[in-house]
Amino acid sequence: MHIMEGFLPLHWAVIWWILAIPCLIFGIIQLKKILASDREALPLLGVTGGFIFILSSLKLPSVTGSCSHPTGTGLSAVCFGPWITSVICAIVLLFQSLFLAHGGLSVLGANIVSMGIVGPLAGWGIYRALRDTGVNMYFTVFLACAIADLCTYIVTSLELALAYPAEVGGFLSSFALFMGIFAITQIPLAIVEGIVLALVFKYIVQLRPEILIRLNVFPDEKIRAAGSDA
Amino acid sequence: MYDELLEDIAQENGLREVNTYTKLAAGLGGILLCLLSTSFAAPLFIAVALSLALLTIARIDAKTYLKIFVGPAIFALFSVIVIILISGGGEIFWRWQPLPWLSLSITRVSINEGLFVFSRFLGGMSSLVFIALTTPMTDLFAVMRRARFPAEVLDLAMIIYRTIFLIMSHLVLVYRAQVMRLGYRSIRESVHSYATLCGAVFIASWESGEDLVRAMEARCYDGKFAALGEGGPVRLRPALAVFSFLVISAGIVVATRHISFM
Repeated sequence: MHIMEGFLPLHWAVIWWILAIPCLIFGIIQLKKILASDREALPLLGVTGGFIFILSSLKLPSVTGSCSHPTGTGLSAVCFGPWITSVICAIVLLFQSLFLAHGGLSVLGANIVSMGIVGPLAGWGIYRALRDTGVNMYFTVFLACAIADLCTYIVTSLELALAYPAEVGGFLSSFALFMGIFAITQIPLAIVEGIVLALVFKYIVQLRPEILIRLNVFPDEKIRAAGSDA
Repeated sequence: MYDELLEDIAQENGLREVNTYTKLAAGLGGILLCLLSTSFAAPLFIAVALSLALLTIARIDAKTYLKIFVGPAIFALFSVIVIILISGGGEIFWRWQPLPWLSLSITRVSINEGLFVFSRFLGGMSSLVFIALTTPMTDLFAVMRRARFPAEVLDLAMIIYRTIFLIMSHLVLVYRAQVMRLGYRSIRESVHSYATLCGAVFIASWESGEDLVRAMEARCYDGKFAALGEGGPVRLRPALAVFSFLVISAGIVVATRHISFM
């Protein structure tokens, strides 16, 4: 769940915008470079954005019985890298606030930092660390997506705790409380999202492995071997 | 997800033909004034004024309008309860210290803080929903282009916008088929069906992207998308109404800056 419109005080909304903007500028520079070298990439990036929008708008069955939604950014970070993902995510978050009233405009900076920057960066870091090792490809995707989801919610808790520190214990106490509340649904949800996106990845390997080969997500031989095993 | 996107309503609402900048001034002005306000009064006034404008002038169905607020309001309510419990100050009504580093209390100041945050949420959400329900995305694209947003980002946004509707219909078809075949009977089957659904949608969206490339190439695509113009011209009555709304709201922000709920 994103932070909603009006929930952060003005100064915090501005601070998160200030943090998000340089990352977005870097993402846009990368986007321009990609589009300059491969014009066909634009529609493909576009459909990924559409996919993230749909995915993060779908209700996900959670083992706690509650319903929430995956972020979908882990898979995008694995396929396109974290900076391009931040630009795609910023657009998706804008659309979600205007199409579904999820999130908001003043808090867009804060939501971009949590869902579009820190989450994908963490997921991408895990993926890069495990990509060329002997670790199973699907497990790598599972871990990258689950960690991206978890980090998103850790940063959301951080943003709320910084804006509303506790009277006793200050920021840390407030952070622990917000984390505790999120943990009830978010830890099982992150695991389920990891499993779901690893299964999605497997589905793509089986049916359209050339997509993943083109994006150079994993070495060709690894993808082909996994595709022929299935 | 809603059966109907807010965008669908925005295409048919009673304020559809009002100038985009006029509507944005009301929505963005409302958000800014909510954030500048230090009391609950101005955000509540903004919430009531914009909600009335949506329900009467824009002719939005009241049930749909309430439905939009339910999800975010539940999350806001939980968060406000946490804020009330962790904030302190003033007369203490209830206190509990479950851990040495964690003290929960309900005080006069914390109730004021919680209600203030909730009213700011209501004001902010009403302003956001006002933009969402009255201004179609195509009009916003035109405004963004005039505001010199990077062309690549705008083109990407337009493709994402188009793809959302393409994928949506595909997704509904697959999902209905899965439900008819009892694909969501248990947690295990739900996870499997959901993954299949996401995978099918990813591949379908990818293929639609490839089709789009071919279609654009066939029409001499040179890296730039054409954008439609933005709405009608600025008219006196709506502009005056928005100006009055903003002036009254700003007046309330200033006049009520020291007022608290309790």
